[in-house]
Amino acid sequence: MLRELQLRDFRCFASIAAEFSPGFNFIVGANGQGKTTLLEAACVLLRLQSQRSSSLAPAVRVGQRSFVVSGHVGEHRLQFYYRALRRKVAFDGVEQRDQAEYLRLVRVVSFASHDLELIRGPAEMRRRYLDFIGTQAEARYRPVLRAYERALRSRNALLKSPHPRPRELAAYTEPLVRAGTSLREMRAALVRRLAPFAEASHRAISGGHENLSLEYAPGSEEDFAAQLARTRTEEERLRLTIVGPHRDDLRLQVEAMPAAQFASEGQQRTTALALKLAQAQVFAEDTATPPLLLVDDIFGELDAARRNALLAHLPNESQKLVTATALDWRAGDWGGPVLELTDGEIRRRDK
Amino acid sequence: MKRTEYPVAIRELIAQLRQMPGVGPRSAERIALWIVQARNEQPAGIARAIASTRDTIRPCLQCGFFATADLCEICADDSRARELLCVVEQPTDILPLEKTSAFRGRYHSLGGRISPLDRVAPEDLRIASLVERVEKEAPSEIIFALAADVEGEATTNYLVALLKKYPVTLTRIAHGLPAGGGLESADELTLSRALAGRTRL
Ligand SMILES: Nc1ncnc2c1ncn2[C@@H]1O[C@H](COP(=O)(O)OP(=O)(O)OP(=O)(O)O)[C@@H](O)[C@H]1O
Ligand SMILES: [Mg+2]
Ligand SMILES: [Zn+2]
Repeated sequence: MLRELQLRDFRCFASIAAEFSPGFNFIVGANGQGKTTLLEAACVLLRLQSQRSSSLAPAVRVGQRSFVVSGHVGEHRLQFYYRALRRKVAFDGVEQRDQAEYLRLVRVVSFASHDLELIRGPAEMRRRYLDFIGTQAEARYRPVLRAYERALRSRNALLKSPHPRPRELAAYTEPLVRAGTSLREMRAALVRRLAPFAEASHRAISGGHENLSLEYAPGSEEDFAAQLARTRTEEERLRLTIVGPHRDDLRLQVEAMPAAQFASEGQQRTTALALKLAQAQVFAEDTATPPLLLVDDIFGELDAARRNALLAHLPNESQKLVTATALDWRAGDWGGPVLELTDGEIRRRDK
Repeated sequence: MKRTEYPVAIRELIAQLRQMPGVGPRSAERIALWIVQARNEQPAGIARAIASTRDTIRPCLQCGFFATADLCEICADDSRARELLCVVEQPTDILPLEKTSAFRGRYHSLGGRISPLDRVAPEDLRIASLVERVEKEAPSEIIFALAADVEGEATTNYLVALLKKYPVTLTRIAHGLPAGGGLESADELTLSRALAGRTRL
């Protein structure tokens, strides 16, 4: 469990510290007070990446050159120091060269209003969702993904070069095929695990009315090498690698119709939520420690009853950081402290 | 009020020292002050050593390793097997392999690896001289000992395609070497095992 969190020069905060409890923690504050920032800092500390943006550079407080996030998970002290081109990770005061051990500690699932993009947005959003889970679920995932991206970028650079470079292209095709084939297998396995959880969650949240189906739509065929050979002339023309896991998608259907085009706003929200709940369940299955849930302002258009129903669907065992601009809709006793965020200060109310 | 600083000569020295790898502003300043304040001839000795190393050390014409003559010590050593040729990325990859004592052949350093993202093409590397050596020395086995990352693998593939028309066995050291860091970051045991467990390409 994340017991406490400290930020220095992170986004709007010069310096701030927060203490959390097991179960629910409610963070309230007006717009722009830094609620999302607190959740982001928790994600950065535990996962060394932000759920909000792919680069950490924008998180450095304007006018500064570095930030530090630190905190305690159980009895362990975690520290992360970031500066352009340089990052340092320490576990119990010892700098970590290999981050695998550190990253095994706590997994994170983030729920945010922009999760709707998972349904409506381009396929890249769904690949990022899969990759965020994959890198947390399997140590092998990140190096394979990095190798694939590196081989792909190299190959595309060769295809774009003014003179044809067929021999170099062939030399880079092999690592692309190897990493690409592993990535396809890992993503397929991941979707097989996520699907039953997501489908069950969707059914439960919709009161048993709706059926979601989840299917991996690979951007390459099983024989990736042969497919690359077949698309060579097209590649020359477009100067791009046109097949491969960088074209993967996750096919989402509600009531047997593509969710992006046909599902209603509420149905889409339900699907997004179901995808995130499935992620939490996959993590819970993998590790003794349930994942930390970051729930950022997802109550937008929901009425009070649905808001409470949503909270009820979050896995019991998990620690949860829930943000909102107000809490007057809360019905019943969810327990947990309320942290009020105003003008860079936190006031904690325990009930 | 004007703030007093070190005289220009010292500031210039600090600036020069900072260009060395691993030397930050703090250590550059400490080294500069040591040079200025030393009561013995040590700084002059270091200056002479830098100048003479620059004059006497050059890449071996044959393999690219550090040499004081046309040929390095390894290439000049007749007791070393001519039939075995080990291809590495950098001349600094040779010493870790030497330390294992598991290899008694000769080396060829490419001076890098093919990397479109870093704008390194085959023609920037010592590939033509490798082909020449294969034709002239006719080794029976060429062992590729490049890093186990995407660029290392691609460069190996490129060379294999280029050399497979020659009557020579092409092998690659066993995988499991650290990626990126190259051979320098592998310990002796790992390297000996990688050499012993090489696979045919
Ligand atoms: N790098 C940065 N340096 C300084 N301030 C920043 C930086 N990045 C973001 N901010 C500011 O941080 C503030 C807090 O943003 P945050 O998104 O955390 O607010 P929030 O409480 O989640 O608001 P909302 O309720 O609107 O979602 C914003 O005013 C934003 O302009
Ligand atoms: Mg916010
Ligand atoms: Zn030599």
